[in-house]
Amino acid sequence: MFNRRRLLGTTLAAGLAGALTLPAAAQNRVPVEMWIGLTGIAQELLIGFADAFNAAQDKYQVTVSFKGQYPEQRAAAIAAFRAGNPPHIMQMFDAGTGDMFAARQAIVPVSEVYAKAGLDFDPSIFLAPAAGYYGAPDGTLFSQPLNVSTAVMFYNKAVFEKAGLDPEAPPATWPELIEATGKIVASGHPCGMTSTWISWIMLEQMSAIHNTPLSTRQNGLAGLDAVLTFDNELVTRTVATLAEMQKDKRFDYGGRSNDAAAKFLSGECAILLQSSGGHGTIARDLGAPFGVSFLPYWPDLIETPKNSIIGGASLWVFNAPGRTDEEFRGVAEFLAYLSSTEVLKRFAEATGFLPATNATFAAMQAEGFFERNPGRDVPVLQLTRGTPGEFSKGYRFGRWTEIRDFFHEEVERALQGAVTPEAAVANAVRRGNEALRAFERTAN
Amino acid sequence: MRRKVIFEHKLLPYLLLAPQLAITLVFFIWPSVQAMWMSLLREDMFGLSSTFVGLENYVRVLSDPGYVAAVRRTVVFSVAVALLALLPALLLAVMVDKLTRRVATYRVILVLPYAIAPAIAGVLWLFMFNPSVGIVAAGIRGLGFAWNPKLDGQDAMILVILASAWKQISYNFLFFLAGLQAIPKSLLEAAAIDGAGEWRRFRTIVLPLLSPVTFFLVTVNVVYAFFDTFGVIHAVTQGGPAKATEVLVYKAWYDGIIATDFGISSAQSVILMAVVIALTAIQFRFIDRKVTY
Repeated sequence: MFNRRRLLGTTLAAGLAGALTLPAAAQNRVPVEMWIGLTGIAQELLIGFADAFNAAQDKYQVTVSFKGQYPEQRAAAIAAFRAGNPPHIMQMFDAGTGDMFAARQAIVPVSEVYAKAGLDFDPSIFLAPAAGYYGAPDGTLFSQPLNVSTAVMFYNKAVFEKAGLDPEAPPATWPELIEATGKIVASGHPCGMTSTWISWIMLEQMSAIHNTPLSTRQNGLAGLDAVLTFDNELVTRTVATLAEMQKDKRFDYGGRSNDAAAKFLSGECAILLQSSGGHGTIARDLGAPFGVSFLPYWPDLIETPKNSIIGGASLWVFNAPGRTDEEFRGVAEFLAYLSSTEVLKRFAEATGFLPATNATFAAMQAEGFFERNPGRDVPVLQLTRGTPGEFSKGYRFGRWTEIRDFFHEEVERALQGAVTPEAAVANAVRRGNEALRAFERTAN
Repeated sequence: MRRKVIFEHKLLPYLLLAPQLAITLVFFIWPSVQAMWMSLLREDMFGLSSTFVGLENYVRVLSDPGYVAAVRRTVVFSVAVALLALLPALLLAVMVDKLTRRVATYRVILVLPYAIAPAIAGVLWLFMFNPSVGIVAAGIRGLGFAWNPKLDGQDAMILVILASAWKQISYNFLFFLAGLQAIPKSLLEAAAIDGAGEWRRFRTIVLPLLSPVTFFLVTVNVVYAFFDTFGVIHAVTQGGPAKATEVLVYKAWYDGIIATDFGISSAQSVILMAVVIALTAIQFRFIDRKVTY
């Protein structure tokens, strides 16, 4: 708490300083526009970082604007680009990454921005899974990781105790999870587990930790002609398990995106699979002791689970007619500032997102942050465990936002019992491939 | 003798009309033309590559089983919303028309919901019917029904129909009340003297005299259900679960903003525009003539 208050104080002071210096210096400053889709404390912090950056130098004036949540913000940026006046920097959520990679003329890779500005830049300062997800095979970083997260399991220790389960030994595998949720429901609790972002967690994360392909062509990393192939044993069995558990509320569906988190926060469900970025809210709102653990895996499909993959969002630099070198220099300076250990440490500690660079993680370890905040290291450990497998290095597809919804819709049908799990997964693959082919045609 | 006023300036009428014309041009004609043009193109999301494809987008839209399903869903949704918005409004208007005291109070209370923004109305209903925390949902479950609009498509559809219709009742109520008050009392008194009962007077005098208002409201309500319910659906179900509440206008938005397929989305918008033009034409040409005044 002390930490957070001090931080807000600093932000406020920086903001005031920025406001006071504005009138005199703003006229000669080069403007740099950045659009973000984050809310709450993360948004306040980013605006504070811009103010501090403006106060620390007198050549550039960075303005951070909130343009609605990710989908609205993306729509606003697309419209602005089509009108010829996009922001310099735009935050784009994970699922939009493939769309941006394909829009090569619309963007300037971050590595190039740094090079143009004559700044030293080494993409390997970022956590390896993040650098891989947002970079090209030759090491060029396309977008700069900012808020990095991965999916983990949160569980309510009070409910565990009531159900006769060991609150210090959360289920590690699916069979253990099925058994534990069975005991929880049998003890009279209304719901065993729920999950946010069904596609991200049950399809993308599960495929990564089981080292199972989502598609041909290296999960789409090797080209736009990738064909989805996730109608396999892993995904079908996972969906079938959810449908089976839904019947007696060992699993209870809580809606799309982040909606299901409410079922855990209200105490209704004992276990929640969610983005690690939700840690702060749970700590504030659950009102019961909770633990953080790794995503469950199927021991008969993989002996030792692989690393999970990242989510969150990254910063993209737009190209536009009439953009000057000075503007790109300002963009590079600000991006460098946003990748500094000092900034990222404050950002990660306050929000619950992961430290985006290795140096930040080391700095947080050194100051004992993870001892003071048990469970906060689980997402980093899960992201970096073992050597990445062939299919746990991430994926890249166009129109993935829409394809995720196909998966959501088909899983919803399977949970209603309207289609079999096999048919649901097969439908998602078929509809997804139609969207990929449509995307391939427009991209060329 | 009436004096005829003649303006000398030929330009003046156009000048007076100019603001209205400018608004129509900028906010209606120009975007419509642009939508029509975009519906003939195939583009990537940033507009970097653009190919003229003729009517391909229309063919794709009309041959997509998902679109056909959305048309069917929209018809069910619109008819249900219109009925649920009209019948209770008529009932309420008839009741208020019979009141002799506190008419204004009842009128204000009944009109209040119309002042609520669609998205807010949606959120209110979402809360009341939320399976986890909603008070109405708890009541429904208490009666033994498995209420879960997050997973059950039919429950979700019922929820968005109720939320959409509820908001429109006030509007319809106002028009019905005005229509009822315009009916000459002498006709009703004459019928009463002839021995016609309450229901007979309503059926043979009130209803026919109310028909222009009713037909006007049917058109307005169908158009409302077609277009203005976006806010409610977006706030309550986002078209889900599994597309169970995705009506045409929501699909056009989704395909344009989320799927960023502007050609397909524009083609759908143009089709919707044709539908609403047809509806309005029917309202003006056909109904205005056939309805007894």
